[in-house]
Amino acid sequence: MSRAWKSPVTTRDAAPSASQQSLPFLEPAPLTRPLAPTAVQRLWFCVWLPGLPLEACRRSDEATAIVEEQQGIHRVLLADARAQASGVMAGQSANAALALLPTLALEERSLPREQQALEMLAGWLERFSSFVCIADCDVLLLEIAGSLRLFGGLRELREKISRGLREQGFAASLAIAPTPLGATWLARAGRRVCIRNEQNLAAALRNLPLASLHWPQALCESLRGMGVSTVGDCLRLPREGFVRRFGAEPMLALDRALGHLPDPRNSWRAPERFCVDYEMTEEQSDRELLLNICRELLLSLEKFLLARQLGAQRLAFSFFHLKGAATELRLGCVRADRSAERWLALLRIRFEQLLLSEPVIAVRLRSGLTQPLQAESVRLQFHDAGDGQQRRHSITQLAERLVARIGDQSVHSASMVAEHRPQYAWRVHSLLSDWSSTTLSEVRRHLRRPLWMLPEPALLPADGAYPLHQGCRLRLLEGPERLETGWWDEDGMSRDYYTAINPAGMRLWVFRNRKQSPAWYLHGYFG
Amino acid sequence: MPASLDKLLQNPRVWKGRSSLQQKAGLPSGYPELDRHLPGGGWPPAALTEILIEQYGIGELRLLMPALARLGDTQPDYGEPGWIAWVAPPFQPYPPALRQCGIDLSRMLIVRPADASEVLWSTEQALSSGTCAAVLFWPETLDDQASRRLQLAAEKGHSWAVAFRPMAARGQPSAAALRLELHTGGQGTNVHILKSRGGRPTILNNLL
Repeated sequence: MSRAWKSPVTTRDAAPSASQQSLPFLEPAPLTRPLAPTAVQRLWFCVWLPGLPLEACRRSDEATAIVEEQQGIHRVLLADARAQASGVMAGQSANAALALLPTLALEERSLPREQQALEMLAGWLERFSSFVCIADCDVLLLEIAGSLRLFGGLRELREKISRGLREQGFAASLAIAPTPLGATWLARAGRRVCIRNEQNLAAALRNLPLASLHWPQALCESLRGMGVSTVGDCLRLPREGFVRRFGAEPMLALDRALGHLPDPRNSWRAPERFCVDYEMTEEQSDRELLLNICRELLLSLEKFLLARQLGAQRLAFSFFHLKGAATELRLGCVRADRSAERWLALLRIRFEQLLLSEPVIAVRLRSGLTQPLQAESVRLQFHDAGDGQQRRHSITQLAERLVARIGDQSVHSASMVAEHRPQYAWRVHSLLSDWSSTTLSEVRRHLRRPLWMLPEPALLPADGAYPLHQGCRLRLLEGPERLETGWWDEDGMSRDYYTAINPAGMRLWVFRNRKQSPAWYLHGYFG
Repeated sequence: MPASLDKLLQNPRVWKGRSSLQQKAGLPSGYPELDRHLPGGGWPPAALTEILIEQYGIGELRLLMPALARLGDTQPDYGEPGWIAWVAPPFQPYPPALRQCGIDLSRMLIVRPADASEVLWSTEQALSSGTCAAVLFWPETLDDQASRRLQLAAEKGHSWAVAFRPMAARGQPSAAALRLELHTGGQGTNVHILKSRGGRPTILNNLL
């Protein structure tokens, strides 16, 4: 990797022997310095989360320990500060830990939940850099060289990230180095250092203990047996022999960490669909509580969408039961939206009707495809005072409420289609899918069309040449209007349409088929 | 007028007969003879109208079309024209024919709820939303309490509610501001005003 410029004499990178608490930060580069157009110096910010298993599973403020099954025995993997104060330590069996602290809350380690927490953090870190990657099950990497000026320098940026992590309840070890692996090793070793120059990197890495490299246990032990305990010791060994004895991987890792070899990483992208679970410790059937959980989920959806300037048009809730299939609840709205309050209003309508056969153990919220949110121009309200309390809902809100309760298929609008065949001269369109209100062709005035149309023409019995309706002969008032069209597709027709009246005074629209079967049909009422 | 009489007149229990002052201007029906017999000179705005019919196809929609077309044109107290909602229509309202009658199809909402109670719920939502200038609905049943609710919703949303009911509902009490009955006669359809708030029952022969 080539460097853009020689660093000025003010560079004071962390001396390897310096105390780990001192933080020699650099000031942001002065603007007078010429910008290098081609060579890019990368700077990696590593966030190591040693307490992730505990922090991801934590449910209460009580003393908690995470246990993991190892060879049939549940052993403590991590214990929080309060548990440690009572003597609970990693490696103890669960029974021993409980004997030390009977009120200890034991949680089974949950890798999916750790992954979820990690992705949540990665999503949050995306605000600091366009390049975030999940490097390991407890390591996040950010490329920050491009973010320094925006966030007001390294110190500011580091402070922001550190504070944000603390506020979200994660204890992290942070390190900055020009290579991703170097930063990771430094963070894992607990070195709170910031190295901007590659030539200082080797010195900082040299005295890292081998344990912080997370190499395989057997490899570390055999190295230790040879008296090799630090990275520096490894580097002193002859390369050829090292590779022959331990394989190429460790040497490649060393080269990558030192920047002798490129180390490309994949940028992590937040999933564009939102899917979050809320799990409960015990089954619940209290509807108010479930509604509150849904509200929490909707709020997190709102945050998710806000960060991406997106909106969702459809959502699905799944209520999981211990026994039986999950109960699904789907919501749709006319325009893509992200407002939790609005979704909640729709949810309330549907939730009233929802039958939950069994108590619920978990709730999942998934969003449908997200789409860019369209900004809307709204008129400035200068005279709000008089009309304030009588706010009018827009038609979209009404349609959403109706759809939420009675279903997508039951609410629609209709428009005309330029077509001679009466049954094709109109179409239904859902308010949710295509929200384009266009009026098509005009109807010619002289054509008589009924206000009521039957979904399918109904066969009328006939008395000789006259059709019968409700047992009486129909009197033909107007007609025929001959429609002979549609030969180009399968639904060609040849019909004579008449306006007819029955003795009870009903006006009907009837036709006689001219080709297939010469029978009379009722097609509509004149309403 | 003495002060004591004034006080007496303010009591809501005192019925003051037909007074043109307190009538709000009605929605012109497009049938001058009908308008003459309706208080306010037209359909009662922001209220429930009930139309009792024996069967479909005797002019029940034609009776409303001029007024509905006018509603689509302008809405005096609100910038944009209102929508017309059809809740649970018995057949498909045919767009080309509606267009011929002057209805704006882009402001038409058709709702087909699955069961009877949803019909009333949807109607109430549409009425009280303030978006719909008119809501036409075909309830299976409409008891006194439900009609009162819908009457209130219509007042709240400044919407014209029109219920189509079978002739059997004639004897049931109703909170509607206007109740009409349509009969077919030899020459056309007769309109029978059964109840009219602030007006008088009448029979109009061969209106349609």
